[in-house]
Amino acid sequence: MKLIKKQIPLAIVFFFGVLTLASYYVPHKVSVDFMEMMNKWENIVSAFAFFLGLISLFYSHYHKISRKADGWGYSLFVYIGFFAMVVPAILCHGKLMGAAGQTALGWSFSFMYNPLSATMFAVLAFYIVSTAYRSFRIKSLQAFVLFMAAFLLILGKVPLGQIIWDSVLGWTGAGVDQVIEWIMGVPAVAGKRGIMIGIAIGAIVTSFKIIFGIERQYMGKD
Amino acid sequence: MSETWMIAGAWIAAGLTVFLFSFLYKDNPFFKIAEHLYLGAGMGWWFQVYVYNILGPKVWTPLVNHDWMVLIPAILGLSLVTQFVPKISWVSRYGFTFLMGYGSGLAIPAGLSTDFISQIGGTIRPLSMMASMTPWAIFNSLLVAFGVICVLFYFFFSVEHKGHFKKVSNIGVYFLMIYFGAAFGNTVMARFSLLYGRFDDLYTFSASKYLYATQIILAGMIIYFAIHGLMNRGKKQAEAVN
Amino acid sequence: MLKEKLQKFFKIDRRWIFLLLAVVLFAPIIKPIGLPNKTISRDVQHAFDYIDKLPAGSFVLFSLDYDPATRPELHPQAVAMVRHAFKKNLRVGVVTYIAGSTGLIGQIFATVPAEYKKVNGSDYVIFPYMANAVAVMTQMASDFYGIYDKDQDGRDARTLPVMQGIKNYKNIAMIVSITGTSMLDYWVAYVGDKFSVPVVGGVTAISQPGYGPYLQTGQLKGLIGGMKGAAEYESLIKEPGKGTSGIDSLNLAHLLVLALILTSNIILLIIKYL
Repeated sequence: MKLIKKQIPLAIVFFFGVLTLASYYVPHKVSVDFMEMMNKWENIVSAFAFFLGLISLFYSHYHKISRKADGWGYSLFVYIGFFAMVVPAILCHGKLMGAAGQTALGWSFSFMYNPLSATMFAVLAFYIVSTAYRSFRIKSLQAFVLFMAAFLLILGKVPLGQIIWDSVLGWTGAGVDQVIEWIMGVPAVAGKRGIMIGIAIGAIVTSFKIIFGIERQYMGKD
Repeated sequence: MSETWMIAGAWIAAGLTVFLFSFLYKDNPFFKIAEHLYLGAGMGWWFQVYVYNILGPKVWTPLVNHDWMVLIPAILGLSLVTQFVPKISWVSRYGFTFLMGYGSGLAIPAGLSTDFISQIGGTIRPLSMMASMTPWAIFNSLLVAFGVICVLFYFFFSVEHKGHFKKVSNIGVYFLMIYFGAAFGNTVMARFSLLYGRFDDLYTFSASKYLYATQIILAGMIIYFAIHGLMNRGKKQAEAVN
Repeated sequence: MLKEKLQKFFKIDRRWIFLLLAVVLFAPIIKPIGLPNKTISRDVQHAFDYIDKLPAGSFVLFSLDYDPATRPELHPQAVAMVRHAFKKNLRVGVVTYIAGSTGLIGQIFATVPAEYKKVNGSDYVIFPYMANAVAVMTQMASDFYGIYDKDQDGRDARTLPVMQGIKNYKNIAMIVSITGTSMLDYWVAYVGDKFSVPVVGGVTAISQPGYGPYLQTGQLKGLIGGMKGAAEYESLIKEPGKGTSGIDSLNLAHLLVLALILTSNIILLIIKYL
């Protein structure tokens, strides 16, 4: 039992890991064909992974409704939303545009999914402003440096800010857009590149750990 | 699409937008409805995309044409779903290990060349071309190189940060702060752009050809909050009297 | 007395700030301020120049990977770049790896091609959504049709006039990746670096600073960042759109944030030293 529960899965991860890694560096037809097949497979497997999320969402809301838990009525709207997209999709075979213009699915996308999804993220603008007011504290030199970089970027990205800069600091001969370009192109690159190299090392080490079966948390407990 | 559908769409879009924004004032049932609809609609959208773009053409069609090879990834994919049955949930490991093995195998070479070697190369290369560079460009490339080294010192945890080591890593913090500051400035712009997008739509739907959807829904929300507030006050007073 | 007043002012109900932002952002939509974007940043100019120099008939692969959540920033970028490509008579192929973007791609190609008399199948082609970008990207290096054998409408991709002579990355002049996800990183790492295909990006303002290193090394040929980038590109192709009007509306909101940060810090300084 241990063989099929543990050792074969670990062999799979090693097998596919090493072959995928190797085929990056081997420009032979066999490796190219192998990658071609792997890519197709992966595409299909990851589509199934989506159903995991779907099933668990449905299950938790079904549970709420069947137990008549607090606010169970709202859970019904999860299903309403789902079918509001899926039923039109079935009717027009997943097409957004038809010969006569927008299909029913296109309509659901434009007037339901689009506003809902966009508004969810747009709300964050309000919180960023109130947080800026309440928690952006310039208490140390480091915080001041952070503030200056943010200040210049926020100011210089809009025409009105550029006008203000020109009228106050125009005598320096440098436009705020040039200052921003320098910040983004020199010190910010250094900061980001340091982070990037650090993350790359971490990711490579973790990947090796996964391939060699040292890191196996994703397999769950047994 | 007929005009009636356009108007209905405008009312729904404006309504859902206003409902979601209403949370900024106070939590309320309209917000909760819109929030749950968002969950469902998002899932529904993705579901149809997967069915019509992958499962249909990549699994079903080949199977109909007797291409049995696709059964292997399909079974690996199906194995993931056993997650929900505790007794046989170990079967899902076959799917997961395939995904992890493939992903790790791809991540190593890409991370190595793009984010590691290329970045070190990009830091050093300008230093080798100094003869043809302006003094300002030379200063900038030296500054980048210096900054990267300081930041790396900051991230190097194997040695205790003290003495000169601490000084260098402290300078690294300033480079990080500039990067974070720039990132914050850009975040502000990005979030405002999204909000602008929503407001722009609301403005569009406020036109007479959409029968003033935005104004009417907004007014409805305000009336709801006013009545709700008054009723709550009434309740509180009644409780106080009792 | 003043101290208490200031403290009270500092702890103002945040909903007033919300309202202030809403007013400051909504008012210019109703009545534009009339201060459009004037400057062009280096990276946007580079992106523009790169496309502008391509010979007519070159095949440009657009990877449009953004959903409604980042639409206001990225949609104007995509529209402007597709317009530019059509203006220069380039062949356009569209792929996507984000499920939410198929609808937005539909919105672009429902109107833009007609303006330039471009025909689906002979001047441009839209491929269906695919899960797992990296797998598909690697695949296209050997055989484009191994993954994309059919276009979005189910037509055989090999026989489409727009695809003539396209087999893999060697036949693709450049890749434009407009995305609110890490898709651009994948294009750089798995395609640009490995198969030396030029990559140009369009990203949200949030992720823009993160691409500085790639731009400096030349791993990215150009970058359009956020709504400002869209406005810049629109002014380069002389077709003002949603980016241009968006920047106009952001003017006051940006100054509001700066004013708020300064106000709160000044108040705290006064409270501390009074």
